[in-house]
Amino acid sequence: MRRAYVMHAKLGLQQMLAYRAGFFLGLLGNLFFLLSMFYLWRVLLKNPRFTHALGWDWSQMKAYLLIGFITGILVSTFTDYTMANRIRTGDVALDLARPIDYQKARFSETLGVALFEFCTAVSVCAIVVAVFGGMQPPTLQAGLLFTVSLLLVVPLKFGIVYMSGLVCFWTTNYLGVSWSRQAIVNIMSGALVPIVLFPVWLQGVANVLPFQAIVWTPARIYLGTIHGTEAVMWLAIEAAWGVGLWILARLMWKVAVRKLVIQGG
Amino acid sequence: MVVASRIGRPIVLYARCLAVQIKAVLEYQADFWILMMASVLMNLVGFVFLWTIFSKIPDVDGWTFWQVVVIYALVFVAEGVGSLFFEGTWNLAFLVNRGELDFMLLRPVSPISQVMNCAVGINGLGNLLLGGTLIGLSLSHLHIHWTLGRVALALLLLVSAIATKIGLNLATNASAFWIQSPFSGFAFSMHQLGDLARYPITIYASAVQALITVAVPFAFISFFPAAAVFSKNGWRLGGVELPLRWFGLATPLVAVYCCWMGVFLFRRGLRRYESAGN
Repeated sequence: MRRAYVMHAKLGLQQMLAYRAGFFLGLLGNLFFLLSMFYLWRVLLKNPRFTHALGWDWSQMKAYLLIGFITGILVSTFTDYTMANRIRTGDVALDLARPIDYQKARFSETLGVALFEFCTAVSVCAIVVAVFGGMQPPTLQAGLLFTVSLLLVVPLKFGIVYMSGLVCFWTTNYLGVSWSRQAIVNIMSGALVPIVLFPVWLQGVANVLPFQAIVWTPARIYLGTIHGTEAVMWLAIEAAWGVGLWILARLMWKVAVRKLVIQGG
Repeated sequence: MVVASRIGRPIVLYARCLAVQIKAVLEYQADFWILMMASVLMNLVGFVFLWTIFSKIPDVDGWTFWQVVVIYALVFVAEGVGSLFFEGTWNLAFLVNRGELDFMLLRPVSPISQVMNCAVGINGLGNLLLGGTLIGLSLSHLHIHWTLGRVALALLLLVSAIATKIGLNLATNASAFWIQSPFSGFAFSMHQLGDLARYPITIYASAVQALITVAVPFAFISFFPAAAVFSKNGWRLGGVELPLRWFGLATPLVAVYCCWMGVFLFRRGLRRYESAGN
């Protein structure tokens, strides 16, 4: 049984390599976004008010933006659009007929792709660091906790992306769902603005949602704004969200399959 | 008479095709609302972003909050018009890849106009409404001395900015004739390059500013027109002082150039179009 899932991970990776042009063009788009954020924050952080409110300076902000870039690339390709398409065309019926778990199979594919996404994102970061100058490496403890939180981003983001793909059981258009998700994740994860700059009520909202664990948690651990027990607590929250969304996705799937109408013969 | 019908007929046909497309979209009401929600969310997130930043500082590179909102909203309005009326441009890659462009070449109507209105992006309506609201809101906060000349200028620049975006969309999507892929990946990444023009471009390094001013003139969709209406001056690029306002006033020329480029590349590409198998 396990072999079937390893197979899916390989398949996912192969499929993405076959369509690598799409991936690299998408990467280019993310890079443009990173570029605009880099220049914008460089100007903003010349103002002491920002360094004060954030608790870090430009060299640390660079690390923050790069962490946002990496977690933005992770689980960004392939899974949801393929799922949405298969649901729309009715090909999902074939997936239902297979003797393996649908959600686990998609997760396996995601893992296969995530490996590639991660390696690419890190290479790009190395280039950016070379161009924009160095930044502080984290302490050993922070580095280890940061790695864990980066790994935990994968199941968490998978839950979000997977569920948004399932929405296609109710709608025929996926673009709007995907855009909405990206907009919400962008703002509530801290990818656009570090959450600490939000007004207090919005910080409260962000902290009870799962999205903050995508950028805000790993970035704060890396920068050392949270450490020790507090860091472990936020990691636990991140892991709990991963598990919670997994269960939620299962329930959503159960309801969705009952909704399924396959058009044509 | 002949002249009138030569100009009038394509417009009537265009409107009719678009009406059919809109009806088709409205068939799926959930889709309609989801696309509207998506565009509202994207606008809102952008606004919250700027608002959060400007709650800490009065200006970025001499641009105040409401002035930057205008730049930001202009991008949304231009994209909105592009989606609502010319969404088909983004389907070109698919049409070429599948050989479906053949059908359009057989009809006695310009293939460019057929491609451009073979789809409608209802999210454009949301962008247009919200972008328009944001511009209106900004202008009410900005205390600009509106003379008749300035109103005319603002309208001319707005139309030019939108035309620039549509021309660039067509030009970048025409890449589909050269790149064999069912998705317009290249055009989309260029579109994202255009996101750099959501902020005063003076924050960027000279090379980046030159890139979105000269190579792919996205800055003429938002930054330069806004600079002209707000009578901004003093633009230093690589140590040279440039008349920012005059760049803004050149927007109509850039619009003509971009549209011409779009049509030129489309026709060039069409010449090497070979249709797809069987």
